[in-house]
Amino acid sequence: MSPALQGLTTIAVGVGGCVAYFYFSNVILDRVIYPPRGPNAGRNINRAGQIRPWLFLLPALVALGLYLAYPVFETLRLSLTERVPVLGQPGKFRYVWVGLDNYRQMTSEAKFWEAMRNNMMWLFVVPAAATAFGLLAAQLTDRIRWGTIAKSLIFMPMAISFVGAAVIFKLVYEMRGADQEQIGVLNAIWLQFDGGFGSVLVLKIIPVIILLAFGGIVSWVGWLVLRPLLAARRARGIWGYVLRPAVAIFAVWMLWLSLQSVVGLWRFELAYGTPQAWISLPFWNNFFLMVVLIWIQTGFAMVILSAAIRGIPEDTIEAAIVDGANPFQIFFQIKVPQIAGTIVVVWTTITITVLKVFDIVFAMTNGQWQTQVLSNYMYEKLFVTADWGVGSASAMVIMILVSPILVWNVINARKEMR
Amino acid sequence: MANASTNIAAAGPRGPKPRRAISGRNIMIYGTLGLVALYYALPLYVMIVTSLKGMPEVRLGHIFAPPVEITFQPWVKAWAQACTGLNCDGLSRGFWNSVRILIPSVVISIAVASVNGYALVNWKFKGSETFFTILIFGSFIPYQVMLYPIVILLREMGIYGTLGGLVMVHTIFGMPILTLLFRNYFTSVPEELFKAARVDGAGFWGIYFRIMLPMSMPIFVVAIILQVTGIWNDFLFGVVFTKPDLYPMTVQLNNIVNSVQGVKEYNVNMAATMITGLVPLTVYFISGKLFVRGIAAGAVKG
Repeated sequence: MSPALQGLTTIAVGVGGCVAYFYFSNVILDRVIYPPRGPNAGRNINRAGQIRPWLFLLPALVALGLYLAYPVFETLRLSLTERVPVLGQPGKFRYVWVGLDNYRQMTSEAKFWEAMRNNMMWLFVVPAAATAFGLLAAQLTDRIRWGTIAKSLIFMPMAISFVGAAVIFKLVYEMRGADQEQIGVLNAIWLQFDGGFGSVLVLKIIPVIILLAFGGIVSWVGWLVLRPLLAARRARGIWGYVLRPAVAIFAVWMLWLSLQSVVGLWRFELAYGTPQAWISLPFWNNFFLMVVLIWIQTGFAMVILSAAIRGIPEDTIEAAIVDGANPFQIFFQIKVPQIAGTIVVVWTTITITVLKVFDIVFAMTNGQWQTQVLSNYMYEKLFVTADWGVGSASAMVIMILVSPILVWNVINARKEMR
Repeated sequence: MANASTNIAAAGPRGPKPRRAISGRNIMIYGTLGLVALYYALPLYVMIVTSLKGMPEVRLGHIFAPPVEITFQPWVKAWAQACTGLNCDGLSRGFWNSVRILIPSVVISIAVASVNGYALVNWKFKGSETFFTILIFGSFIPYQVMLYPIVILLREMGIYGTLGGLVMVHTIFGMPILTLLFRNYFTSVPEELFKAARVDGAGFWGIYFRIMLPMSMPIFVVAIILQVTGIWNDFLFGVVFTKPDLYPMTVQLNNIVNSVQGVKEYNVNMAATMITGLVPLTVYFISGKLFVRGIAAGAVKG
């Protein structure tokens, strides 16, 4: 059968089957079970009306149950069992309850902890960077002439598949021997630096300024969050006494990290003039992989935040201008608080994407050179080494990590639907 | 209000606001924007340029330079000759597989989800809150958690490794988010329209086809965009639920690029990436604003 015919048949069978089901179940309900005739006509119409929605929901419920609910519990069960071949019957297996053995085995593997560590780094860096870049792009493109073009450019990576993006960035990070011409974009740029004043300016002084600025912004935000608590006026409830100090401590930690990096960067001897194998540079290669996801996700953050910025009431900004606020104050103290809700939504959405990141790591390094992440670890266990117990256990770890955000998102979505 | 503002405008200075083309603020904005755009555009630019160069020219370096001699040979090779393992018929096989996966799953999922969403709007029933919560969970939950049990399920049903199985998985996983999307859109249709149609004698299907369908074209376009880009760009399901000769395009792209035999042909790799991205990019350029809505709606998907 030709592919086109096959596709048409699939569509016909799928849609036709569903329509036929809807149609005939309704016909049976209306004509046979509760016919709108005879002495009970009125009651029958009401009854049929009560049952009808379930006719539509039944297939959906069955499909959801079979494909969503059952697999989740099955994964949980598999993570607690082990597959043992049945003696004398090749190809037959039975599942033996082993308790937490799979989890114990998983946590004894160095690769798992490497994946956990990398996932945590992804979790901190990618949502923060994508949201920050998105916010920056949204603010900068707001009401300028070339804004739309810049926006559609930044959004374009969203249309490309993760694998495609990974392939593009493989070329960006490509390295060839020092005696050959470099093809990788990053190495070509890298070789422009010869250790002179220009290199020091671009690779040391400017990053240091950026790091210091980051530290400054972080500590300022931390101070803004903590200030109400110190003034003891507006701090209320759990948000006041637990979250505010937590945010402040996090800010201090970030400040500490950025100061540490300033010192580290300043003292680090950069290998000028030699091409680098960026992809297999331990620890740092994680960040090169993260760049790919940030590249993709910024567009998403930008369009959502840009819509939110457009929605800010004009008079609040005008009032701030009249009061003599500078652009930075307007941005951080007028605009950002008003779109804080949207920022959180964008952040959590990207966080979920990050926790599931698989394609990029799979296509670029496949977890080599200490870039393993949980999803790829799970894939490897399930489909390469066929270790279903440990694979399912790591799937449960992903589920547990996602759960808080999942529940939070569900609560939010329900509020929106009312 | 309008009166007051015209008064102010009449009293104030006339003519367009004087602009200074070069001010510190403008330099900062355009400078930052330029840097940001560079990060997003440079990889795309290099991809296009490299895909149009011959291999000898690529080896010379000069990655940022436009091709001296434009050649479509890499594109032809990526489409028809590039090797993945033993097969050497390029991306074309993956392209047709992707098409055969895409069209049925998009059509079926949207047809069923729109009817479901319509049914949900039309009838209030007990337990609808719980049902919606389940739907929301269903659209947010990460696929990884259910991957292996679904493999078992499909194997039991005898459709593991076939395109039909993959179509089914895509259809069902698109269902929760699409049903919510349609339901939320249909609730905004005024109830009087239903009642008027009901009085005029339209039944369930009459209302759906004559009122809902023509009124909700935008949401159908959004749903199509969401499904087309999502399914076309999917990698995980493709690699898990199909067999090598049925792999969709994304998986084949990965296999072509990561195949270890022979010389690395950067231009062919880039052309292959471009070809793989053509479908969603075309959709993007045609649909514009609606594309953003489609992607935003799909971003929460598990």
